[in-house]
Amino acid sequence: MALHNKKNSVIPGFGPTLGYTIFYLSLIVLIPLSALVIKSTDLSWQQFVGAVTADRVLASYRVTFGAALMAAAANAFFGVLVAWVLVRYRFPGKRLVDALVDLPFALPTAVAGITLATVYSSNGWLGRYLEPRGIKVAFTPVGIFVAMTFIGLPFVVRTVQPVLEELESEVEEAAVCLGACRWQTFSRVLFPTLLPSVLTGFALAFARAVGEYGSVIFIAGNMPMVSEITPLLIITKLEQYDYAGATAIASVMLGASFILLFAVNLLQWWSRRYAE
Amino acid sequence: MSIDIRDVNKKFGTFEALRNVSLTVPSGELVALLGPSGSGKTTLLRIIAGLESPDGGKIHFSGEDATNLHVRERQVGFVFQHYALFRHLTVFDNVAFGLNVKPRKERPAKGAIREKVLELLRLVQLEQLADRYPSQLSGGQRQRVALARALAVEPKVLLLDEPFGALDAKVRLELRRWLRRLHDEIHVTSVFVTHDQEEALEVADRIVVMNEGRVEQMGTPEEVYDNPASPFVYNFLGNVNLFHGRIDGGEARIDNISIEVPDFGSGDNIPAVAYVRPYDIEIYRSRRNHEDIESVVRHIQGAGAVARLELERLDTRELIDAELTRERYRELALRVGEAVYIRPRNLRVFAGGDYQI
Repeated sequence: MALHNKKNSVIPGFGPTLGYTIFYLSLIVLIPLSALVIKSTDLSWQQFVGAVTADRVLASYRVTFGAALMAAAANAFFGVLVAWVLVRYRFPGKRLVDALVDLPFALPTAVAGITLATVYSSNGWLGRYLEPRGIKVAFTPVGIFVAMTFIGLPFVVRTVQPVLEELESEVEEAAVCLGACRWQTFSRVLFPTLLPSVLTGFALAFARAVGEYGSVIFIAGNMPMVSEITPLLIITKLEQYDYAGATAIASVMLGASFILLFAVNLLQWWSRRYAE
Repeated sequence: MSIDIRDVNKKFGTFEALRNVSLTVPSGELVALLGPSGSGKTTLLRIIAGLESPDGGKIHFSGEDATNLHVRERQVGFVFQHYALFRHLTVFDNVAFGLNVKPRKERPAKGAIREKVLELLRLVQLEQLADRYPSQLSGGQRQRVALARALAVEPKVLLLDEPFGALDAKVRLELRRWLRRLHDEIHVTSVFVTHDQEEALEVADRIVVMNEGRVEQMGTPEEVYDNPASPFVYNFLGNVNLFHGRIDGGEARIDNISIEVPDFGSGDNIPAVAYVRPYDIEIYRSRRNHEDIESVVRHIQGAGAVARLELERLDTRELIDAELTRERYRELALRVGEAVYIRPRNLRVFAGGDYQI
């Protein structure tokens, strides 16, 4: 293929462009990450296993990945809803709402964390109504979920929006003419078309949530075994000069994230099989 | 099933898309809605389908009021210009869609659906492509899938919105002949929208010419072509030459030609325009009488079944298009720049000024 395209491609030189791509990816992604894995080999196998499977560490995996998955799922649902409203309806202040969606991207995560913690604390704007009803958000795992949802919101909206915009209304009309009811039109026509972009958004939101540190630690309460996220555990280890332990946990996170993202990519590829 | 459209109006904002449109589509016929863009033909089609609701007027299917019937209950098959196929489904599943979404009670068994879909794919000659996705098909194939999909639910009416508009000339020609044959086979009442007069003349049993939200004329292709009811229809169906003149007391004088026009009554000095088809322009090398118009040959296109000539009148400098049979063209052996005498025949006189599309 490389040989075939040599003469006809707009950008000449498959070699140089691929070379540069690999160099760039190595410099930015692969070298730091392999350094991480190599550093963790300072530990013996037993020490490594011990470091990454300690009860407190296992609990932090559950909190981090569990909350990230739930947050990404929530964003997948509400993100599609927001994108739908932004694309399909015209209402005053639409541009403002559209801009609002990107705010979690721009806001420093610490600011987001402090703000959320304040609003959801027992005397905050929302917390004061939730707490008497037995819903504690701030300084619990629920708070982690809230913070992760906040920072992950733009991903699904921004990946689904352009796909929704390009969707011809004729396709829906065709479905209705063929006798499909609203639900069938959505589930059999719209949703399958949106699915690849929803999955992309989900994967991005999930990846962001797993790696999130700044906003979470302010609202999490950071109680070991309950509301302690893995990135915080890594920082803690670093502060105790346990570099090898920190990198061991980090490489487990790296591996797990990679496997999950890869799985989502496979799913995405499967859901787009018609477009090849 | 026949379709009756009575006094249908539709406005989009201040734009009047349809103004008191009434027409009847007889059962089993293939009818073309023909008109320039903005003439309301697509709006009318969408109102028949129920995709758009009229501001006023009624739609009757076989005599029954269908004006307020939901699209889903109208049992119409709709074919879109840009196919509107479900791109995540295979050709087979696209065609099966209408059967698969039926309520469980009415839904045929899996095997029956399969048989029906394969039968339809045979009808549109796409059996081998049942497992492909729409993105793997050519435009003509996609439109045939769309047609099979629409036919799968056994619609009472088939509506086609510029079905060949997005295809290239050769495929379009092929597909429209094929549609004609298909219609002769299945005889479902069909309405199709087109802005291509050739397409309408070739395919339809009946043509409805529309302009600015109104029906200009309705009739068989021969009727509308040979007997245009208005200057607009004359202009829209094929090339035409204009000759200006006046009507005085039931007689029109177009240049030196006099024509009896009793329809215009006894009014005096009414401006008039006569329309003449290019093949109704006779050409001679010598003057025969005072009615002949002296002209010069400006351009000749001699290839093809007819020779097309562009002539310039010496008196008014207006250009006239003429078509000659091959024999007549050879006989005359004309060259560019030669002087000739022309005489229009079969003039059709309309009162009023020019009509421009």
